[in-house]
Amino acid sequence: MTDPSNTAPPPSALPDGVTPPAPTDSLPAMQITGLVKRFGEKTAVAGLDLLVPAGSFYGLVGPNGAGKTTTLSMATGLLRPDAGSVRIHGVDVWEHPVEAKKLIGNLADGVRLFDRLTGEQLVTYTGMMFGLSRDEVATRAADLIAIMDLTEAAGTPVVDYSAGMTKKISLACALVHAPRLLVLDEPFESVDPVSAANIEDILRGYTASGGTVIVSSHSMDLVQRMCDHVAVIAQGRLLASGTVDEVRGTQTLQDRFVDLVGGRHHAEGPQWLRQS
Amino acid sequence: MVATVLRIRFRVLGNTLARSPMQLVGFIFGVIGALWMLLLAAVGLFFVGTLDFDVARSAVTAAGAVLILGWVLGPIFATGVDTTLDPAKLAPFPLTITQMMVAITAGGLTGVGGITTILASLLTFLVWVHEPVAAIAAIVCVPIGVLICVVASRTVAALASGIGGGRRSRELIGLLAFALVIFASPLLIGIVNALQSATDQGLQLQGFVTAISWTPVGAAWAVPGDLAIGSWLTAILKFLVAVATLGVLWLLWFRNLSASVVSPPSRSTARRKTGSLGWFGVMPSNPVGATWARSLTSWTRDMRYLRQLLILPFAPILVLIYSQGDATGPFFALSGILVGFFAGILPYSDVSYDGTAFATVLQTGIRGRADRLGRTLGVASVAVPLVVIADVVTVAVAGRWDLLPAVLGASLGLTLIGFGVSAVSSAFLVVPTPAPGDSPFKRVPGSSFSMFLTFFLCWALVAVLGLPTIVPAVITAFTGSSVAGWIAFAIGPVLGAVVLTVGVLLGGRRFDANGPRLLVQLRSFQGA
Repeated sequence: MTDPSNTAPPPSALPDGVTPPAPTDSLPAMQITGLVKRFGEKTAVAGLDLLVPAGSFYGLVGPNGAGKTTTLSMATGLLRPDAGSVRIHGVDVWEHPVEAKKLIGNLADGVRLFDRLTGEQLVTYTGMMFGLSRDEVATRAADLIAIMDLTEAAGTPVVDYSAGMTKKISLACALVHAPRLLVLDEPFESVDPVSAANIEDILRGYTASGGTVIVSSHSMDLVQRMCDHVAVIAQGRLLASGTVDEVRGTQTLQDRFVDLVGGRHHAEGPQWLRQS
Repeated sequence: MVATVLRIRFRVLGNTLARSPMQLVGFIFGVIGALWMLLLAAVGLFFVGTLDFDVARSAVTAAGAVLILGWVLGPIFATGVDTTLDPAKLAPFPLTITQMMVAITAGGLTGVGGITTILASLLTFLVWVHEPVAAIAAIVCVPIGVLICVVASRTVAALASGIGGGRRSRELIGLLAFALVIFASPLLIGIVNALQSATDQGLQLQGFVTAISWTPVGAAWAVPGDLAIGSWLTAILKFLVAVATLGVLWLLWFRNLSASVVSPPSRSTARRKTGSLGWFGVMPSNPVGATWARSLTSWTRDMRYLRQLLILPFAPILVLIYSQGDATGPFFALSGILVGFFAGILPYSDVSYDGTAFATVLQTGIRGRADRLGRTLGVASVAVPLVVIADVVTVAVAGRWDLLPAVLGASLGLTLIGFGVSAVSSAFLVVPTPAPGDSPFKRVPGSSFSMFLTFFLCWALVAVLGLPTIVPAVITAFTGSSVAGWIAFAIGPVLGAVVLTVGVLLGGRRFDANGPRLLVQLRSFQGA
């Protein structure tokens, strides 16, 4: 279950153009040290350390408001931390943002896309922003759109896409510059099971070819099934991390998570809400 | 139910003001402005009341018509529509469409603008006291007039954002409506003109106001006066016009709302052919080209951007109004310079319109100067041709071809200077804007007084930096010196290019440091 090579489809699931370059070093894909972020009185991330090995499929789980999105925003150069550092394959994100961002493919949660553009325009735009040549952009955009089953909708403005299609086109944008690390914030939220399975295949192909994936999710089942590593965070702190088997022990990840985080209570809800 | 909705409205206002002191300052300035207008109206109407009754009733009709036009046009050009009570937000509650409309109208009446309008219209009794019949009629007619103000404003906004099913057709209709409004503006020129020359051409004024009094904007205000002088028939007919206006507006709004509550105007499919990349297939494949293509796509297709462009054709009309319709004078011939000025500050807060999609820009690690340059090229591709067209057309209409070099030089100089200033300001400043696809009229909460201050600072900066080219242009217009004209022609673009270069470099450095903070602010607007 935790060995991706057992379940992964052949790496050919990902077009050649966007397979990550082979690792040339043994540095971790992401190394977070002492990360802190405060919003006014509230501390969203309180001294977080995290090490994501290269080539891993890493799950980041935590309750609502745990600081997952904040952490990932800081790790991808979208939100300036108050303290601490983030290194992507050894490159400091906040000292060398341009170099670091070239290594990252990012699917951020809770942000819009330039949704007036068509799917094809959006992927092309992203490729152009990374300075790919026109031919490269065209090939990769066509490949990615095909692999995401979006060929039919390539000419439709993204604003008219369903939630699942929007996630898929975001993923295509995140992949177009062949990053070494994919950071996906809630990639499966409001995605239908078929699309989710397709996305999962693509991600497995990506890790099998040497890329690293970090996903944040609310779904423990999904993380237990897909990821080989997991980190549990709550209230901006790391509660547990390691391989999925190390973290869950003999329990399911769901039960282990509830143990770690707490807050589960058994109530039937207020009297007036009962229908009989 | 309506009372509950109103209570929510005031609670929202209170919470917004409590959250940000700068917004409170802005709100207080708004109130002071409203009080000042009321004072002016009171003094004006008091003195008008002491004049000949014919003049007085014309003045009331004209003022009422301007008031209604203001309610309809104001949201388009300046204030935006207050969406605290948005139909989309009210839809989940158990309200009928009519209840919803009553609630929204009541909300409009109890805002600063609504209260000011009510008080101002009550001030017309300063005129009507002299004629008891008119005063009695006004008890009915004034409320109708005030209601027309609010309902017309809502209906026009709703229509512009909601006609038809498809997004493209809706946007097209919205744009046509804007265009109509612009070309209806000469009407305002007529009014201002007539008022200006009222003393010596009283007769013409009377005729003009009589014509206005038969239109939907004037009828309600004219009825009491007509009754007072005994023209019962015209009074009744005008009363019918007013009531019918209110009825038709209400009906249009009702229909629009019934349709938009069940099918919110957002889904439609305007496909492009696969492989058709638009500007993305034309621009060079690098960060500047990508930003240029995206910016140009927005400036040519997104209603929120197109709305901003409206100020460009409106600027010469504004000058025409101030110069009392004198199209052959030097002021109108120079109005291209004003167009250039407005064109330059169009993108003063360009990043705002990205919304949180700005994250896409940020995560590509684009260098600040490339972003600044791409955005400037995008807006320039649209604005510069428009400025040149405006220059040529205004100069041609004025018949002052001798001024063309001066106007071209100064206007393009100001445009480029404005772009330079904007390249810096838009790396500092984001303001709340309607989300893509929303009505471009929508007023979005969260703008604060400091944002307006920055905006006016940009204006002032552009004007000061532009002086070396404005001054020779003005000199040539008033002295006929062609040397000064060619000086303006030469200095404008060169100075503009220098300011733009400095702006892109400074703004780029600022953008590199400030990008994440801009995204945080944009996210907070989204939550607002």
